[in-house]
Amino acid sequence: MDSFVKMENFATVAKYSSLFAQGLLVTVLLSIFTVMIGFCIALVMALMRLSDIRPFRFLGIGPDGYQRESGALAVISRFNPVSFIATAYVEVLRSTPVIVQLFIIYYGVFGIFDLPNFTMFGFIKFPRFFPGVVALGMNSGAYLCEIIRSGIQSIDGGQTEAARSLGMSKVQNLRYIVLPQALKNILPAIANEFVVIIKESAITYTIGVQDIMSAVNAVRGAAFVITEPLLVATGIYFCLCFPTSKLIAYFERRMSHGDKR
Amino acid sequence: MATSGSLICVKDLKKHYKGGAIKALDGVTVDINKGDVMVVIGPSGSGKSTFLRSLNLLEEPTGGSILFDGEDITKKRYKNADGKTVKLDVDALRQKMGMVFQHFNLFPHMTILENMTLAPIKVKKMPKAEAEKKALALLDRVGLKDRADAYPIQLSGGQKQRVAIVRALAMEPEVMLFDEPTSALDPEMVGEVLDVMKELAKEGMTMVCVTHEMGFAREVGNRVLFMADGQLVEEGTPEQIFGNPQSPRLKDFLAKVL
Ligand SMILES: Nc1ncnc2c1ncn2[C@@H]1O[C@H](COP(=O)(O)OP(=O)(O)OP(=O)(O)O)[C@@H](O)[C@H]1O
Ligand SMILES: [Mg+2]
Repeated sequence: MDSFVKMENFATVAKYSSLFAQGLLVTVLLSIFTVMIGFCIALVMALMRLSDIRPFRFLGIGPDGYQRESGALAVISRFNPVSFIATAYVEVLRSTPVIVQLFIIYYGVFGIFDLPNFTMFGFIKFPRFFPGVVALGMNSGAYLCEIIRSGIQSIDGGQTEAARSLGMSKVQNLRYIVLPQALKNILPAIANEFVVIIKESAITYTIGVQDIMSAVNAVRGAAFVITEPLLVATGIYFCLCFPTSKLIAYFERRMSHGDKR
Repeated sequence: MATSGSLICVKDLKKHYKGGAIKALDGVTVDINKGDVMVVIGPSGSGKSTFLRSLNLLEEPTGGSILFDGEDITKKRYKNADGKTVKLDVDALRQKMGMVFQHFNLFPHMTILENMTLAPIKVKKMPKAEAEKKALALLDRVGLKDRADAYPIQLSGGQKQRVAIVRALAMEPEVMLFDEPTSALDPEMVGEVLDVMKELAKEGMTMVCVTHEMGFAREVGNRVLFMADGQLVEEGTPEQIFGNPQSPRLKDFLAKVL
């Protein structure tokens, strides 16, 4: 009977260590860009979801001059198309597999026009890296949107009232009062999303992004070993994610101490 | 257009909820003159806060009108002095009305000085140095100059409320609105906040104060409004309201609070 792992196979994997090192860099860069794009999408989507744009508001006023409480007209008057689009985006992206989204972006959207074909750092192929970042960023944007939205909603309404009573506009209130407080509160959640993305980015090897998983694949193809490179990948992912989570938890504890002062 | 001398003319002001089932305000008519220190009293749920918050449009009234400096601020568009139809600038209006809340509502992520200079700098476009100089002078007046670099969390309730008052004053408002400014304070801190308000009244600031401090109403107010069930039940000088109440509701209320 063959043993599960063989020491000599690790020696084989070691020959490909530069592939793993490149993969590690790709994974980290991919995750950083993804969080940045995801955050921007999420911020816009969250503000859209919280917007108060109701084109049919006037239908909600009954003949007695009061706001209608129920009925079809009351429902139509509450309809917010901007918020609807953002909600639809979030729900669709959260209710479909990431790999499907990735393939649609890579083969569908970026399949119809050519991306500039250059490599970054000599080994990151932009036409594969970029669609990967876009797809993962759009996906994580949907999750981050809900985090940002709840962060904004958790800020006491008195803050907005105070800002508005000082003559600040809605935008100024958001920019100087609500968002700084909300973002500080959700910083740990955003950092957690970063850890999630590090792990999820592994699927981008399916579109040829040369991340850690693609190094595993390369070793398998060249040396016909699979378990050992997988264990190496496991180790790398763990060393990336576990300390990050612990660090986040540490700062989260420290920050909540600060608030209770 | 404005009644001579009146800064704010409130006419038949209504705020109804749930299709008229809840009448938070049910036809309030009152004129607020320059220099008035108007104290609003009444039982819980009588619409005092709603009245006050309607004045700077934190609540949108469902009926009636409010003339501020002669302009009807309950209309989204109105005719100005030249007869042109212009859009109401709610932000500009609110700059003229300072508001102080029961729970202070200081901005916790900013220092006291930043709390005070943000609106002057961003809204009034005042140079930073000038805004800070003004803020420090105001803080000095309430004895908190040395706390300018502290964060709100490091202050006591009474100190927070004094900062909230001067933060509103930094915008140089024409009228100050107070919604139970001492209700969230420990008893020993009530005095220091009332002292600041008294000082302000002495300087001639127009003030509308919702409060349960009957002593303050008597001593500082020149007019007292008694509200119940969304209506203005009785209005008069402190002597009239406390010394010679007319309506049974007011007599009943005073018997409970005095
Ligand atoms: N958003 C709302 N929806 C429904 N009813 C409301 C709403 N806001 C206020 N009310 C009602 O309006 C009435 C007046 O409320 P308001 O807060 O003005 O009273 P108040 O005199 O300030 O009371 P308190 O002394 O407790 O502060 C209350 O009966 C309250 O329940
Ligand atoms: Mg109240």
